[in-house]
Amino acid sequence: MTDLQIGIFSIPFLLFLIFLRMPIGLAMLVVGLGGTAWVTGGSLVVLAKLKTETYSTFSSHSLSIVPLFLLMGQFATVGGMSTALFKAAESWLGHRKGGVAMAAVGACAGFGSICGSSLATAATMGQVAMPELKRYGYSGGLSTATLAAGGTLGILIPPSVVLVIYAILTEQNIAKLFLAAFIPGFLAALGYMITISLYMRFSPGNAQVRERVPYRERMKAMWDVWPVLIVFLMVVGGIYTGLFTPTEAAAIGAAGTGLIALANKGLTKRNFQDSILKTANNTAMIFIIILGASFFNSFLALTQVPQEISSFVITQGFNPWTVLIIILGIYLVFGCVMDSLSMILLTIPIFFPIISNLDFGLTAEETAIWFGILVLIVVEVGLITPPVGMNLFVINAMDRKTRIIDTYKAVMPFIASDIVRTAILVAFPGITLFLMRWFY
Amino acid sequence: MLGFIHKMAKALAVAGGIVLLLIVIVTCSSVMGRGLNTLGNSDFVEAYLPFLESLLKFFGPINGDYELVEAGTAVAIFMFLPWCQLSRGHASVELFTSLLPAKPNRFLALLWEIVFSLVIILITWRIYEGMISKLRNGETSFLLQMPIWWPYAICTFTACIASIVSMMSVWLHAKDLGSVEAIGDPVEETTR
Repeated sequence: MTDLQIGIFSIPFLLFLIFLRMPIGLAMLVVGLGGTAWVTGGSLVVLAKLKTETYSTFSSHSLSIVPLFLLMGQFATVGGMSTALFKAAESWLGHRKGGVAMAAVGACAGFGSICGSSLATAATMGQVAMPELKRYGYSGGLSTATLAAGGTLGILIPPSVVLVIYAILTEQNIAKLFLAAFIPGFLAALGYMITISLYMRFSPGNAQVRERVPYRERMKAMWDVWPVLIVFLMVVGGIYTGLFTPTEAAAIGAAGTGLIALANKGLTKRNFQDSILKTANNTAMIFIIILGASFFNSFLALTQVPQEISSFVITQGFNPWTVLIIILGIYLVFGCVMDSLSMILLTIPIFFPIISNLDFGLTAEETAIWFGILVLIVVEVGLITPPVGMNLFVINAMDRKTRIIDTYKAVMPFIASDIVRTAILVAFPGITLFLMRWFY
Repeated sequence: MLGFIHKMAKALAVAGGIVLLLIVIVTCSSVMGRGLNTLGNSDFVEAYLPFLESLLKFFGPINGDYELVEAGTAVAIFMFLPWCQLSRGHASVELFTSLLPAKPNRFLALLWEIVFSLVIILITWRIYEGMISKLRNGETSFLLQMPIWWPYAICTFTACIASIVSMMSVWLHAKDLGSVEAIGDPVEETTR
């Protein structure tokens, strides 16, 4: 077999191992090591590489942002800010039809601005919003679906761990990517609120409406979320203005949410240990995937697979938009079974060279950033698509009375809203790129 | 024995968390020092608050903060590995195997655990070799002149613990193979 053939066959083989439930990072690591040994004709290169590669991957300065953002998110979940955010959102939206559910979405968006992970956002806001939704008579299906969908805002709205990984893989500017994620994130929250409103219109349940809250109280409720605003402004503002590097911003964010948690007496010994252990678990999981991906991708690069695929697509002269839509479709399908980070680490090295060589009438950087946001959105849809959307499970597990099938049914309109939004963002790249063009 | 290993992995993960907190503290202090120093050098302070100038210029960024962050992150991640494996926190795709009966599922779980264990032992051996070569060539970090083999040594040590824990985990999965109940759930719920 030629090197190219080995490289091409390694991809279905890797997927086969993954679908046999081999841990994803391990599968990439083993195939990457095995493949490299095969192509280089012996274990010498692999063994030499292993001497330093593990340490240098784990000690990369740009990747050190990952555990820091995870720690920041964990401190945020015990910081007690979720209640304040929900109350503030409720005071503005609660009197509308479906208003309490809309408030849950709004609060998720707010929480997403200090937490870079979807599951943590869904789980934290779920604890606060679920009892309220139940109290105002929302059906179990709608309540769980709202929170599962709202949770995806955690990763869409910066800071976002997945965007950081994308930025590193494609060598893009993190600040610009974060900036580009804003309008799509805002549109997502808006889209979910419209979905709720339509849902209430077409399947009128017995959900009650809260009484209107006077403006003075609304302002007071808004005032209570100031710590969130400050941490957010420090982290995101610091990155944009170039005052600190992204890693420094993440450290400051972790300190900020840690101090909030401390001030709200949320950081008990037990909570502290929990936060650390969850950070430990997620960090180790992510870095094993990163390590595996780094070996697998350098093996693929050795076999020239990404270059060959990319030049094949270019010489065939396919329509760039068709190629883009097919790639996004692949993400949507894979998202139903795989987690977002693994998917991005696995596919970006193959798909990104293709996309960056196609002409969408944008500069190279604009294409990279626009594509990154689109990928982020479609992989996040995977978190709420049945049968294995992680957010659906986490939220459904909080509400024992609701069957998972009801959650599946109620989440469909939210998925539809995601797909409509993706279509709009594909058709008009200017929406995503507006802030970035304006700012830089 | 089992309880001891579990406690050790947990304690190691918490220690890794404390390393992470130290990284946070070092980075924040460095940013603050740099900020105060910049302020001390600004025209505004020179013109209106000259008495503060020398005080502000006393502060500065921490020398070699980048190097500390890098070494600290690697050490912390190695400390996190045993806990992640023991709590079965590694990401995998479960959709297709969920169609299989329990027995083959447990067999697969055991098989992958053995492979995982072998890979961790391989990594441990190689990082040990890496440490030896860093020790021989006397490589140091750029600013602090810290010998690179120091963090390598800590990582080698924690990788050894990870190897022991992974073998332990193989044994746990082998025990699962014989048991009647469903396959063991993760010890602690993971948030991704």
